[in-house]
Amino acid sequence: MRDAVQDEIIKRFDGLEWLDRYSLLISFAKELKPMDDKFKTEENSISGCQSRVWIRTYREDGKMIIDLDSDAMITRGIISILLKVVNNRSPQDILNLDLYFIEKIGLKSNLSPARADGLASIIRRIREVAERGIN
Amino acid sequence: MTDFKKDFPILEKEIYGKKLVYLDNAATSQKPGCVIDIISEFYRSDNSNIHRGAHYLSEVSSEKYEKAREKVSDFIGARDPAEVTFTAGATDSINQVACSLEPILKGNEVLITGVEHHSNIVPWQLAGAKLRSIPMDDDCNLLTDSIEITDKTKLIAISHASNVLGSVNPIKEITRIAKEHDIPVLVDAAQSIQHLPIDVKDIDCDFLAFSGHKMYAATGVGVLYTSERFSDIVPARGGGGMVDKVTLERTTYLNPPLRYEAGTPHIAGAISVAAAIDYMQNIGMDKIRKHEHDVYSYAREKLLETDGVKVYGNTENMCGSISFNLDNIHQYDTGMILDKMGIAVRTGHHCAQPLMRSLGTEGTVRASFALYNTKEDADMLIEGIEKVRMMYT
Repeated sequence: MRDAVQDEIIKRFDGLEWLDRYSLLISFAKELKPMDDKFKTEENSISGCQSRVWIRTYREDGKMIIDLDSDAMITRGIISILLKVVNNRSPQDILNLDLYFIEKIGLKSNLSPARADGLASIIRRIREVAERGIN
Repeated sequence: MTDFKKDFPILEKEIYGKKLVYLDNAATSQKPGCVIDIISEFYRSDNSNIHRGAHYLSEVSSEKYEKAREKVSDFIGARDPAEVTFTAGATDSINQVACSLEPILKGNEVLITGVEHHSNIVPWQLAGAKLRSIPMDDDCNLLTDSIEITDKTKLIAISHASNVLGSVNPIKEITRIAKEHDIPVLVDAAQSIQHLPIDVKDIDCDFLAFSGHKMYAATGVGVLYTSERFSDIVPARGGGGMVDKVTLERTTYLNPPLRYEAGTPHIAGAISVAAAIDYMQNIGMDKIRKHEHDVYSYAREKLLETDGVKVYGNTENMCGSISFNLDNIHQYDTGMILDKMGIAVRTGHHCAQPLMRSLGTEGTVRASFALYNTKEDADMLIEGIEKVRMMYT
C-alpha cells in the first residue's frame, strides 16, 4: 500500500550521490527535537545499535506518540525520517505499515548487517509497543 | 620505497568509485597474491588429509603441513617445532590454554593489563579465574614497578601490542618479573606478529598466541606456542589425530604437537601462514618495521596536528593501530563518512570495553596500518577527517 509520507521521503533521496544522501540525513537529524536527558535511561535504551538509541512512547487521543533520540548524527537522521512515517498514528496503523522507504532510500541494502539490525531493533521495539497498545 | 600494494590484488579495488584506502588491518589484513595462490594450489593439486592416509597425496599434504610448522617455529624462534600447534586463531589459542590450565586457575588470579582485547579476558573468566590489571598511567604505559604478585597469581596474560591504541607493552620486563616469582606468562601477539620481530626465547614467555589472518594468511588458522616446560599439560580438545591408545576406560595421547591438534586441522590455512611468513621474510622484518614505523609516526603526527582530534594512548613503542575521536562527532558518524570516501576504518569499542571505560569513551575511530600502507594513505585519512568535519558543521 502506498504511503504519501514515505513516497515524499523517497523522492527527496532519489538520484543523490552517497555524500549528498548523508548530507540530507544530517539535515533530517537537525530537525529532530532532542530528547530530554532525564528520559535517556538504561530502561529506555535500545540495544543492538552501534550508537546509543533511546525511545519513549505515550498515547494521546488514541494516537501513539514516539520520541526517539541517539548520540550519533546519522542515526538521528534515520530515526528522524522513521518518526515522520510512524509517529502520531494509531497502534493498529503502525502495525499495518509497510516500511518500504528503508530499502528505497538505500538504508537497508547499503548499511552493513550490524547497522541494519540496529534499525530493525528500533522498528521491532516500536511494533512491540504498538501491539501492547492494541491488547 | 617499494610499492607493496601491487602484491595485494584487493587493494586495486574501488569503493564507491574511490580508490580503496584500507586502514582496518587490526581487524584483518589483506592477502598477497602469493598467499592466495598457495591456498588455491593446495586445493587444486595437493588436497588430502594429513598424517592418516598411506597414499601419495596424504604424504604430500602432511609434509607441507609439517614444513609450515617448522617455518612458524623458526619465525618465532622456538626451540623445537613441537612447541608450535596450529589452532583456529589467537582467540582459540588463548581459550585452549585457559581450558588446559583451568584446574590451576579456578578460584585463583590471572594478571592482565588494562588494554586487553576481550579474547584475553573472557577465556580466563570462563576458567573460573579472577582478573586483576597491571596499573598503567594516563598514556597507557604499564607501570611495571607496581606489579603486585600474590599467592593467588597463577598466570600473567598480556597483549604484546594493543589492538586499540597500538601501544607496545614491555613484555620482556614483565616475563623477567614473572620468572622471579615462577609465574608463567602468556603473550597475545595477535597485533604484533605482523609488525615486530618476535623471538620467544628472547621474550622468555611460556605461551604465545596469534592469528594467521592478521599476518597476511588465511582466516580460521592461528598458532599457539607452548614452551617445552608445559609440554605435558592436558589437551583442551579431544578427538582423532591426537591419541596413542583409546579404550573406553582410558586414553593415552601422542606427544606434542599432535596431542594438541584434535581433528582435521586447517591444513591449507597452516600452509598459508608459512607462505605469508615467506612473503614477509623476503621483504625482511626489519625493513617492514622501519617502513611501518615511518608511516605510523607520520599518521600519528598528522592526527595530533589536526584541530579537534583527540588521539588516545602514548607509549614509547607503538605499532599498528591508532585510536582517535573528533570533538563532538560520534565515532560511528566519522566512520560512515570515511567509508563513503573509500577509507576503511573500524569504529566502536574494538572488543576492549574495559579499556574504553578507562579512556572515558564509548568508542573510538581506529585506523590500523599494515606493510602496504603509505604516507599517502595517512594523507587521505586526514583529508577524510576534514570532510567529516565539514559534513557535520
